[in-house]
This record gives sequence, structure tokens and C-alpha cells, in this order.
Amino acid sequence: MQPLDFSTVIQTLTQNAQNVWMPHFFPEVVVCVTIVLILLASICLKRTARTTFALALIGLLVALCGIGSQLNVVGSGVSANPGEYFGGVLIWDGFTVPVRGMLLLFAILALSLSGSTMKFGARDATDFYTLLLGSTLGLLVLAQSNNLLMAFVGFEMASIPGYALVGFQRHRLRSSEASLKYLLYGAAASGVMLYGISLLSGLTGTLSVSQLGSHVAAIGSQATGATASHAVIFSLLLIFVGFAFKLSLVPFHFWAPDAFEGASAEVAGFLSVGGKVATFSLLVRMSLALSGSMTGEAAKLVLPLGIGLGVVAMASVTFGNLAAYFQKNVKRLLAYSTIAHSGYMLMAVAALLVLRSPEGASSGIDVKQVTQQCIEGLVFYLFVYVFMNIGAFGLTALMRNHFGSEDLEGVKGFGRVFPIHGACLVVCVFSLVGLPPLGGFWGKFVVFYSLFMASKISTFMMVVLLVGGLNTVFSLFYYIGILKAVFLGEPREGSSSLVAASSENGLAMLIALPILLLGMFPGAATDFASEMARSLVR
Amino acid sequence: MNDFLFVALAVIAALGAISVVLCRKVVHMAASLIVALSSVAGIFFSLNANFVGATQLMVYVGGTVILLIFGVMLTSMSAKAELKTTPIEAIAALASSVLLLLVFTFTVGSVSWSEHFKLLAGDAAVPKNLVEQGSSSFSSVALALVGVRTDQPNAHSYLLPFEIISIHLLVVLVAAGYLARPRGTQQEADSTAE
Amino acid sequence: MTGDPLSILVWLSAIFFLCGFLCMIVKRNVIGMLIGVELILNAANINFVAFGQLSRLGIDGQIATLFVIVLAAAEAAVALAITLVFYNSHSTIDADRGESLRG
Repeated sequence: MQPLDFSTVIQTLTQNAQNVWMPHFFPEVVVCVTIVLILLASICLKRTARTTFALALIGLLVALCGIGSQLNVVGSGVSANPGEYFGGVLIWDGFTVPVRGMLLLFAILALSLSGSTMKFGARDATDFYTLLLGSTLGLLVLAQSNNLLMAFVGFEMASIPGYALVGFQRHRLRSSEASLKYLLYGAAASGVMLYGISLLSGLTGTLSVSQLGSHVAAIGSQATGATASHAVIFSLLLIFVGFAFKLSLVPFHFWAPDAFEGASAEVAGFLSVGGKVATFSLLVRMSLALSGSMTGEAAKLVLPLGIGLGVVAMASVTFGNLAAYFQKNVKRLLAYSTIAHSGYMLMAVAALLVLRSPEGASSGIDVKQVTQQCIEGLVFYLFVYVFMNIGAFGLTALMRNHFGSEDLEGVKGFGRVFPIHGACLVVCVFSLVGLPPLGGFWGKFVVFYSLFMASKISTFMMVVLLVGGLNTVFSLFYYIGILKAVFLGEPREGSSSLVAASSENGLAMLIALPILLLGMFPGAATDFASEMARSLVR
Repeated sequence: MNDFLFVALAVIAALGAISVVLCRKVVHMAASLIVALSSVAGIFFSLNANFVGATQLMVYVGGTVILLIFGVMLTSMSAKAELKTTPIEAIAALASSVLLLLVFTFTVGSVSWSEHFKLLAGDAAVPKNLVEQGSSSFSSVALALVGVRTDQPNAHSYLLPFEIISIHLLVVLVAAGYLARPRGTQQEADSTAE
Repeated sequence: MTGDPLSILVWLSAIFFLCGFLCMIVKRNVIGMLIGVELILNAANINFVAFGQLSRLGIDGQIATLFVIVLAAAEAAVALAITLVFYNSHSTIDADRGESLRG
């Protein structure tokens, strides 16, 4: 080892911090500072729920502005600088910057929702917002990590506050039970994932995601490649268990209905969307790293991996929709719909892997362009999903506040008493089904189109496409069930005198409006999404 | 001598882990866990990873396991309560463990590591001396944690996780504090604050 | 199985993983299940240090282990708090007793 000059080390570090790290990592630093400020304010200032909320909101808005100033990286065509940064553990390019923006936007929505619908004391508010921001920070790190260890740290940072958030209503028996179940399954899933990471890093000799592909290819091309490749597949499966848990995919979905029913609707909305955005971002990056440039033994694995993801996606979609049909509780129903939606999104990743397999390269399709379409569809879907799922859970929270119930029986007539809420619910629910002209339609459309392209390489993808399409039709029935209860049922006596606060109406419309806009004018958003995809797949 | 110690530690660790599963009382499980984790720490020492071994002893054995034992003491009405396993569970456990063992044998277990790394070491990206001597130096670990890699200049350095985990610990502290706070006092505190 | 220290350690970690996994299935007590999680995390730790010291993962292995130890401690703290809340409301820590929510 060379002798180290201490002052040079310090100098390099400060230079890096000033020129590279701080400008690019600014939003996350703001979130960290906000967490500390909230805790300090709760000690020094006279604490009210309102000041804490304002602090958290300002912090997230500043962070979002920070992302906004970086957005010009998308579509600039030049290779993004600095690419890998912070010692290589994070990556900064035209894909991660908008994904972080999406996460922050989503955090702002979840925060304003819980600020306006949850009623808690000042002391609880401090804790709640701290946990929410802490979890958001974990998601932000997870979404841009370029290192498996960093990804695990982000994964845990996002999950552990989540366990506590589910159990936040300590007075409810179900809440503590739900958080315990979520914790046990979550801890097991992250442990299995970590074991997979340890095996994979041992086999390849690296923790870096971007170098994963070349290292796996090197393993596959050597003499002992066959057994080692099997071991790589095994470790990838273990890692996928962690992802599948976070995305609530079948067969690792069983926590979702329990956790969402036990948690408050706001928290359920937060958990259902945030984890998906960040995890899919990492999953896409890993899938791209592992496909495309494979040779030898390792190349044979790409197509089976894609088909395997397709099977998981089909199972999730079918199971989620079937189980949702029998639910009486709105939050449980939405939980099963969440499982189904993860399945739809996973179809895009499955199509991506099939397209980038060696079979795809020899099929004469313009793989690069179609792969970009897969990612474009996924990103668009996620973006709409942020709004429609937060909207659906937020309106469930309003049902709870006004009608004191979250059961389909108990919320009868909600849409008649509160016409604006009802209208917003219609938008969210129809968008979840995927009816035109709403945002959800285009999300599903692009994903199904990429499946269609993938079916030219493997006919199995046609089966996936058919199952997805059939399920979309089938899901209409249970979503309609919500609307039927809300609009056709007779309101309870005395409920007609209830009045919604104007802030609630405003927030509901603020969430529903983008869904409508994205549905009617998808052009700008899809262009942006395809620019993001282009910076990922060159 | 060293080899003998190494194998002995590995055997003790494995026996500890197996007895964790076989013990029926939670306290005995925790005790076996301590045995298993301490011998793992011993293995770390014998692999020249001294700092990690010490951390394993202090934080894991001395902290986390004690936390779990606290959990036993605070919750179970009698620490002697036995956990019974139903036959169905036992069969399911047996079947899944046999399955997992088979998977291990045919994937990770059948990789011949020395061959694997001999071939991979031809890879230009990897300095060979690392494979041969095993980096033991604590200073390179410490420097990697503050963002400077001295052993492999192009490898990742871990300043960010090192720093951001402090925020995570803060958030975890808040979470645990919230959950453990008695319910009655919180309303009083709120009424005085507002 | 050969006398190669690396393959001994990989098998040791496989045993740890298997035992942790079995703990999660067989034990009904929450603390018992958490002990299973600790075993799984330690299986990963053994792998990390073994690959780090005996193959080409380098000091990344040691660093990963350090982070895992810290995260495990944090997770155990929250797990204990949640277990206590559950115990206070249900007077038991049998994970099967929670009957009101059924996945």
C-alpha cells in the first residue's frame, strides 16, 4: 500500500463534496436536514402539529426544487455527468433524476394527505412526519443506488420506519398486529435478500450493479461456468424475494392485505406506491445490467429469467384480481388491487428481459427501441399510479373521517353526499381499471404493446399478454363494486348534513386532475418517459 | 494448529445454529444463538478480519442478542414456556429443509471455489495479490468508510452509507421511542402543549 | 466437500441460513422468529467476510458486514418495540394468536 498523505485525502474529499456530491445529492441532504430540524423544533419551539407539518412540507418542496434544477439532464443527449458518484455507490443520470422527482412528488402528496386527514396530537405528529421523511429518504437512496450494499441499506431505511408507521395507531388492536406481521415478513424477506447479495457478490467479486453484467458474463464464459451460473441464478432468485416482497408480488404478497387493513389509509397509500417506484427503478437497472451483453452459459439464462418474471406477473395479476373480488373492506380491496398492479408493471420488466435475450438479438427486431418502449411504459405507468393510488387511498381516508367506516357497506352513498369526492373517486378508480381517456389506460397500453413485441421472440409472452388483458376486463367488476356502493347506496341518516372541508376538496381535485390530464394529453409525459428510457438504454 | 482452531470454531458455530432450531425454550434458543454468534466472531478473527470480529462480539452478541433476551423477559409470562411443534409443521419444515439443502448442493455447494477464482483472477480488473494474501488491514477499511480506497483505486467507497446510516439510526430511535411511549402520558403532554 | 476453507465457510453459512429459515417456519413465538432472522443475517455475514478475506471481494466484504451488524441492531430495536406494543394489547407474543387479520 502506498503511504497516504493526509492533507491530499482531505483536499480530494472536500473538492468532491463541493463540486460533485453536494450539487447532485442536494435533495437528499435537504430531506436529512429537514428530519433534524423537525426534531429540533419539537424540542425548542412550542410544538403544534401545524408547524411540524409546515416544516416537513417546506423541506420536501425545497428538495423537489433541487430535483427540478437537475431535470435538464433528461434528453440533453450528452452522457450524464457525473454518472456514478459518491464513491460509485450512487448513480446520476437521466433516469434516476426524474424517478427521484417522482418519489419526492409522491412524498409531498402523501404528506399533505396525512396532514389534512389524520388527526393526531403535536407530539405524535412530530414522530409521524419524521418516520415518513425517513422512509422517503430510504426510497430516494434505493432508487439511485449503484451498489448492492447501498441498495440494501436503502431498502432497510425505507422498510423499518414503514413497520412503525403501520403500527402508528397504537390504540387499535389490528394496527399492532398488522405491524408485527409486516415486520416479521419484512425482516425475513430482507434477510433472504441479503443472503442472496452475499452469494452474488462472492461469486462475481463485486457489489457494483453496473459491473454486475460483465462479471456474470465472465463467469459464464469460463470452463466451470455451468455450475457457477446456476449458483448465480440461485442468488438472483434470493435477491428477487426481497424485491417481490417490496412489490407485494405473488407468492410474497400475503403481508399486503393485512398491513394495509391494519394501517391507516394514508400510510397504506404511502407504502403501496413508494416502494414500487424505488424498487422498480433498481429492478430495471439490474435487469439491464444482467442482459444484453451476455455470452456463453450466462446468456442462456436471460430468456428463462424473463419468462419466470412473466409467470410471477401473471400469478400476481390473476390472484390480486380474484381475491379483490371477494373483499368487503375498501382498504383490503385496494391492497389486492395493488398486488395486481405490481403484476402489470412487472410484465414490462419481463418483456424487457425477453427482448434483450440472445434470442431477441437474432430475431431482427430493433431491440434497443423496443426495450426503450418497455421502460417508457413502466415509467408512465408508475407516474400515473402515484396519483391514482394515493387518490384512492386518500378518498378511503375521507370515507373513514366522514362516515366512520371503511367497509363497502358502511360507505354507501358517500358519493352522493360529497359529489366532488365522488367524482375524484370515479377518476381514480376508472384509471386503476385502465379505461380511456384516463392516465391508467395509456400505462397499460404501452406495457401491453411491449409484451406484444416480446411475444415475437417467445410465444409465452402472448399468454402473459392475454392473461393481462383478460384480467383488466375482469377487474372492472370489483372496481365497479366500489362505485356502486358509493353512488347507488342510500346514505345513512343524518349524513346528508355533512360538509367537506374546502382543503379536502382541493386536495382531491389536485390528485384527480393529473390523471385526467395524463389521459387526455399523454404526449408530453410519454416523450419525457422515452427520453428517460433513452438515457438508460443507449 | 490454526487450521484445527478454524475447523473447531466452524463446527461449534454450526452446532450452535442447529441447537437454536432444536431448543424449545426461547431462553435456550437465545443462549445457543450467543454460542453460534461468538464462534462466528472467532472465525472472523481467524480470517484476519479483526475489527469485524470485535464489532460482532460487541454489537451483535453484546447488544442485539441482549435486546432479544430483554424481549423474552419483558413479554413471556414464563421464560420457561415451551414451544410445541405440530406434526404438520415438522413435516413442512423437514420437506423445505431437504429441498433447500438439495438446491444448495447443486448450486453453491458444487462450485469449486479454488478453480472458480483461479480462472476469474485472470480478469485484469482484479489485483492478484488481494486474492493471495487477503487484505487484513483495518486502515483500508477505515479509509474506505470515509471515501478513499487505497487497495483498489477503482472500487466503490462507502462514505455515503456510513453517513446516511446515522440519519437512519435517528429515525429508528424516534420510531422505537414512539412505540414504547406509554399511551396515557401522551394525551396529557398534548393537552399541555396546546 | 473439500478442506478448502472457503467451501467450509460457504457450507457453514448455508447451515446458518437453513437454521434461520427453519426457525421462521417452526417457531410461533415472535422472539423465536426474530432469532431466526438474526441467524439468516449472520449467514450473510459469514459469506461476506469469507469471500472478502479468501477471494477477490476484498475489503468490501468486511464493510458490508459492518453495515449489516448496524442495520440488524436497528431492526432489532424496532422489532422489540413493536413486539412490546403487540404484547401489551394481546397479552401474548404467539404470532398465530393474531386472528383478526388473515391474509
